[in-house]
Amino acid sequence: MGEYAVNIASKATSPSLKLKNKLMDSGFRLACWSAAILLFSTLMMLILFVGKTGLQVFDTVSPSEFFLSFDWVPEEELFGAASMIAGTFMLTGLSLLISIPISLAMAAFNAVICPPWLRKYTRPILDTLVGIPSVVYGYIGLTVLIPLVRQVTGELMGDGLLVAALVLAFMVLPTIARISDDALSALPKEYMEAAYALGATKTHIIWTILIPAARNGIATAVVLGMARAIGETMAVVMVIGNVAQLPDGLFTPTAVLTSNIVSQIMNVPFDSTWNYALYMMAFLLLLISLALIALINMIRQEEGGART
Amino acid sequence: MNLFNQKGKYAKKVMALTLMATMVMGLSLSSYAASSTKGKIVIAGSSALLPLSQQASKEFRKTNPGVSISASGSSSIAGPQSVMKGSAQIGAVDWDATKDVPGFKAFKELTAYKVAVIPFATVVNKNVDVKNLTMKQLQGIFAGTITNWKEVGGTAGEIVVVNRKFGSGTRVNYQLKALGGEDFMKPGVSKNYKEVGSSGEMKTAVQTTPNAIGYIDLVYVSGDMKAVAFEGVDASVENTVSGKYKVFGYGYYVTKGEATGATKEFIDYVKSQKFQMGSLKKMKFIPVGSMK
Repeated sequence: MGEYAVNIASKATSPSLKLKNKLMDSGFRLACWSAAILLFSTLMMLILFVGKTGLQVFDTVSPSEFFLSFDWVPEEELFGAASMIAGTFMLTGLSLLISIPISLAMAAFNAVICPPWLRKYTRPILDTLVGIPSVVYGYIGLTVLIPLVRQVTGELMGDGLLVAALVLAFMVLPTIARISDDALSALPKEYMEAAYALGATKTHIIWTILIPAARNGIATAVVLGMARAIGETMAVVMVIGNVAQLPDGLFTPTAVLTSNIVSQIMNVPFDSTWNYALYMMAFLLLLISLALIALINMIRQEEGGART
Repeated sequence: MNLFNQKGKYAKKVMALTLMATMVMGLSLSSYAASSTKGKIVIAGSSALLPLSQQASKEFRKTNPGVSISASGSSSIAGPQSVMKGSAQIGAVDWDATKDVPGFKAFKELTAYKVAVIPFATVVNKNVDVKNLTMKQLQGIFAGTITNWKEVGGTAGEIVVVNRKFGSGTRVNYQLKALGGEDFMKPGVSKNYKEVGSSGEMKTAVQTTPNAIGYIDLVYVSGDMKAVAFEGVDASVENTVSGKYKVFGYGYYVTKGEATGATKEFIDYVKSQKFQMGSLKKMKFIPVGSMK
């Protein structure tokens, strides 16, 4: 052993090996840098391409029509995206409204209440749910949820915001639950022990101590879930009904930005205002997700500031 | 010398004969077995015509191993667009792309070849008791002015209209033939209206939604949906061939200018009696030549 170590040491100091190590070192550094640059430039090109193509819509359509008009009839040169922008926010809000309480309860269960032997199963199950392709969720929504909603409510169709929100809630639930779970589990054990010593119940501890203490981690979880909900396309397009109109209820077919893009982009001529309008919608989604990422960074910084 | 000459003449004759024989054999061989045609054909466009293109290319490559064909399916409009861009030699499209159709401008530089006849059927959920609809009634239903089944002779019930999304070849053909080119309803006209992305989704929607009406390729009609007669004529292959049933469209191949070389040979094969009456018919398309 000792001899071997000496051997390596002497080898490492030999001039040829020094050079070789140096070369390998700089080679590896170069590879890492180019990977980073490649990623960064791809993102930049993506933003540039989508943005440049999208902004061409304003050559023929006024921004006020695009953002404020509810009339989306591209066949007749009407390019108002307001109903879909509003639909995106309504749908995201509704699905968060459904998923946040359930995922928080699930996170609290995992972190505090769940016996350790069961935890070995609940966490992998949540991880599995994240990996299921969204088209599967959409298909279940279409074939199970919509007929069910039709039966329960007596509605004629069932397609619309509620079913889409339910499907989305189910999809973002594992994301929010797992990250909140991690945030709760990372809290110092002393918090809980001290609270127990003072005679607090589990409900008390979870609501008044653990969740407030982990609020930054939970907020990050919610924002990540929100990003997933806003960008989800496949599952939504199957259950939302795909009619670009402002819904007058939870069961009226409507459309959101993503579902509208995916259902039309294949069928429009390349250099048409219609195509540019769809790209503009994609650009909007890109900007929203960038804003959400900035929001997460702000939350993290606040957390860092609070700890130091 | 003389002998040699004679021999030479004889040899020349033999040689000429053999040459002719080989040429004839070669010709016949090339037309029956491996041909010398070489080339690369890319087919893009309509997903409805994709199975047809795939089957044809499989058969065509047996006799033309020098030709490589790749076929893909996305949407009808992708066909003429890919051909115009030069990324495909053949565009498969569910309407005649050299003419204006509702929503799509003509591509003047293209040549269109009819390759198949595709009939469409108006379909309703099995709870609907209407058996026949006229063009005028269909126009009203799809425009949102007729909203209850009792207005067209059925049991009272709000009509749920399921439409294909814009860009669907089925939608273009249905609009042209069944609705006489009249427009579909605009968003906001009725809350019992939705659009779907594919024939499969149309089938699911009409099958599972009571009071629903939609339209679909005739071959997809089955199970929990009913085909409705159009202007008193049942939707069937026989009625389409005889010319009584009007709701059908042609599937087209389009090329930039006239087709040449391997592309032309492939299109000729698809249009040939052998393929039209054989595989094409087996795949439930109607041969172009059988239309009266």
